[in-house]
Amino acid sequence: MVKKSLVALGAMLVLFPTMAFAAEGDGPSAATLDMGLNALWILVAAILVLLMQGGFILLETGSTRMKNAGHVAGKTIFTVGLVSLVYWAVGYGFAFGGDAGESLNKFIGIGNFFFDPTIVAQDGESFPSTIFFVFQLAFAAVSLSIAWGGFAERAKLSVYLIFTLVFGSVIYPIIAHWIWGGGFLAEDGAQDYAGSTVVHLTGAMAALAATILLKPRIGKYNKDGSANEILGHNQVFTSLAVLLLWVGWFGFNAGSAVAVGDGFFGYVAFTTQLGAAGGAVAALLISWLVKGKADIGVTLNGALAGLVAITASCAFVEPWAAVVIGLIAGVLVFFSQMFFEKIKADDPIAAMSVHGAAGIWGTAANGLFATPALVAQVGVGKEGLFYGGGGHQLWVQVESFVICGAFAFVASFIVLWVIKQIIGLRVTEEQEIIGLDLSEHGNYGYPEALKKSGTLNV
Amino acid sequence: MSSLQREKRLLDITGAGSPDSLRRIREEEQNRLGAILSSSPVIELVDDLNELHDSLIGRALQLAEIEMARLGQGAPPVPYAYLLFGSGGRREQTFSSDQDSGLIYDDPQDEAEALTLENYFRTLAQLTVDCLIEIGYPPCEGNVIASNPEWCLSISSWERKLDAWFEEPSWENVRYLLIVADGRLIGGDRELSERWYGRFHRDFLGTPVIARRMMENTLRHKVLVGVFGQLLTERYGELAGSLDIKYGAYIPMVNVFRLLAVHAGIQETSTVGRIRSLETAGILSPDEAKESMDAFGLLLKLRLMAVTKSEDGQWVGTGVLKASDLNREWKLPLKKALKLGRKLQRQVERELRYRFGGR
Repeated sequence: MVKKSLVALGAMLVLFPTMAFAAEGDGPSAATLDMGLNALWILVAAILVLLMQGGFILLETGSTRMKNAGHVAGKTIFTVGLVSLVYWAVGYGFAFGGDAGESLNKFIGIGNFFFDPTIVAQDGESFPSTIFFVFQLAFAAVSLSIAWGGFAERAKLSVYLIFTLVFGSVIYPIIAHWIWGGGFLAEDGAQDYAGSTVVHLTGAMAALAATILLKPRIGKYNKDGSANEILGHNQVFTSLAVLLLWVGWFGFNAGSAVAVGDGFFGYVAFTTQLGAAGGAVAALLISWLVKGKADIGVTLNGALAGLVAITASCAFVEPWAAVVIGLIAGVLVFFSQMFFEKIKADDPIAAMSVHGAAGIWGTAANGLFATPALVAQVGVGKEGLFYGGGGHQLWVQVESFVICGAFAFVASFIVLWVIKQIIGLRVTEEQEIIGLDLSEHGNYGYPEALKKSGTLNV
Repeated sequence: MSSLQREKRLLDITGAGSPDSLRRIREEEQNRLGAILSSSPVIELVDDLNELHDSLIGRALQLAEIEMARLGQGAPPVPYAYLLFGSGGRREQTFSSDQDSGLIYDDPQDEAEALTLENYFRTLAQLTVDCLIEIGYPPCEGNVIASNPEWCLSISSWERKLDAWFEEPSWENVRYLLIVADGRLIGGDRELSERWYGRFHRDFLGTPVIARRMMENTLRHKVLVGVFGQLLTERYGELAGSLDIKYGAYIPMVNVFRLLAVHAGIQETSTVGRIRSLETAGILSPDEAKESMDAFGLLLKLRLMAVTKSEDGQWVGTGVLKASDLNREWKLPLKKALKLGRKLQRQVERELRYRFGGR
C-alpha cells in the first residue's frame, strides 16, 4: 500500500507538479489521487492503442507485395495524421458533444467542435477530458486503418485522403455516438465494451464497400473463376504485427474501463488474453484439419479474430466463455475467409473476416454469455440467454450490429461510389502492375530489390 | 485383348523398321485402349498398355543395335542390360509417361577395352533414347536416363555406385535408391540385371537404416484426405478445385508397397505384383491384400483418366483431376482408397519409428 501510494505520488509529481505543490503540506486529496491514477492509465492505454497502428502498418505491408510496401506502410502515417485533425475538428463533437436536444442526441452529438479542452481536470471529473479525447481519437484511427485493408494495392492515394475526411468526421463518430455517446443504441443497453461493433465492424464494412467498388486486384482471379493466391511478401512482418496488435489490445480493452478504481480493468485484460489465445489455437487447428496444412496466415488472423470478438464481451463474460468466444472466432475467421474469396471479394488482409465476422460474433456473444454480476459491475444492458436473461439482450445485440453494420456499409458505399463517379477509385492497370510505390510516390519502398525501370512482373 | 490380337501387335512391332512406324502403332493402340478405358478392368488394361510399351521399347533397342552395326560399330562387344526405372520399371506407364532408364554392361578386361565399351554403350544408349523420343517418350526431366553417362556404366561401376549411395544416405542418394528399386530388365542380359539387383538387395539388408531414410524421403507426399474424410483439393490457381491424383494418392501408395516389398526381399517391381507377393509371403493378410488391390486399381484408373489428348493430338498427363468431375460413384471408393493409403503410410511410419526411434 505504501509502495502504491509512493508510485502514485511520483506520478502526480510528473503529471501535475503545480497541483502537487499547491497541495503541499496537507498532500493531495483522495479524489485527486483517484483522478490522477485514472488519467495515467487512460493515457497509457491511449498510447498502446496508437501503437496498434504499428501493427496495422506491418500487417498490411507484410500481407501485400513488395512493389507496394512503401505506399501501404507510409499512407497509414498520413491517414493517422489526417484523421486526428478531422476528429479534433468535428468527429469528436459528433460522437460525444453534449449540446444536442434530447431527440437529436439519439442519433448524433453536437458540441465540442474544434475541441478546446480545459487544461486540467475539473472538480468531479474522474479523468481530464484531454486524455479521454486522445483515447477516443486512437480508436477512430484504428477503425480507419481496418478499412484500408479493402483498399490495399489498388486504390489511388487521393481516395485515401477523401475517405479519411468523411470517415473520421461523420461515419465513425455517428456509430460511436449511438453506442458510446448516449445515442439510441446506448439507451437500449447495447453492450459493446471496447468496440467489436463500433470500431471493428465499422472499419470492416467500409472495407467491404471498398472491395466491392474497387473490384479484385489484377491476377487475383482467373478467367474460369478460380482464385490465385497472392502471397504477402513478409510473413515475419505479419507475425510481428499480430504481436503488436495483441499487446496494444490491452490498452484497447482494459483501457476502456477508463478507471483504475477497484481494479476491474485487470479482469478485462485477463479475459482479453483468453479470447486471443483461443482464437489463435482454434484457427491453426481448423486450417490443419480442413486443409491438411497448418496455415500461418490463418493462425495470425485467428489470434486477431479472438481479440476482435472478445472486445465487445471482455467485461461481460466469465473466463470459460472468453475462451469459447475466442475459439469460435478462430474457426469463424477461417471459414469467413474462404467465403469472401469465393464470392470474389478480394480482401488482401482479411479485414472483412477478422474485423467483420469476428466483430459480429463478439457482439452477439454478449447476448448469450453476459453474466448478471458483470452486467451489474459495468452497468450496461442485461444478462444473456445462458444466464436467464432470455432473448432480450441477444436481440439488442443483433439490433446494434445490424443497424451499425448497415449504416457503415451504406454510408461508405455512397461516399466511395461518388468518388468513383467523379475522380475514380483505382489506379490504372499499368500503375497497378508497376506498383503503387512508383505510381503514387515516385520511389520504391525497397529500391534495391526492385528495378525502377519497372519490369512488369514485379 | 485376345492372344491372337496380341501376337499380331507384337509381330507388327517386331516388324517395324523405323521409329515412325512404331509411333503409328503406339498411337493406334493407345487410341484403342483409351476408348475402352472406362469399360474394362483396369489392372488388365494397364498390363496390356505396359506390354505395348515394353514391346516398343524393346524394339527401339533392337533398332539402335542395328543402327550401331550400320555405323560400323558392330554387334555389342559384351553382354549388356537395359533397365527401366520409375513407372516403366513398375509396369505402370500411362499414355504419356517419360523415359527413366539405365544401362549396365559387362566389365572390361583392361583399360583399353574400358574405353571401347564406354564409347560403344554410350552411343547405343543415345541412339535408343533418341529413337524413343521419336516414338513419343520424352526424356526424364531429372536426367535419370541411359544416355546420361552417370546411368550408363559397367556392372562393377554400378556396384560401386550402389554401395556409395547406401553408405551416404543423403536426400539425393536416397532418391536415387528409390528410383532404382523399381528397376526392371527390358532388353539384354538377364544375368547382369540379376547381379545388379543382388547387390542392391545385399546392400539394403546390410544398411537397415536405409529403410527409414527411404520412408522419410517419401513422406512429404501426403495422402490428400483430411481428418473428416474430405478430399484435399488444390485451392488456388488454374488447378483450383482439382485433386492431385499422382502425388496425393498414387505415389504415396507406390511408396508404401515398394518399401514393404524391398524390405521383404521381393524382386517384383510392379505395385500390383508387390501386393500379390506380399500376400504370398504372409506380410499382408488376404483381406488387406484384396483391399489394397482394389484401392490401387482405382488409383491406376484415375491416373489414366488424368491423361487426356490435347487439341494437337498429344497425350498430356497433368496428374490431376477436377474433384467436381468425379461423381459420388467415384468419390466414395476414392475416399476409401485414400484412407487406406493414409493408414498404410502411418503403419509403415510407426513400425520404422519403433525400430529406429524417432528423430
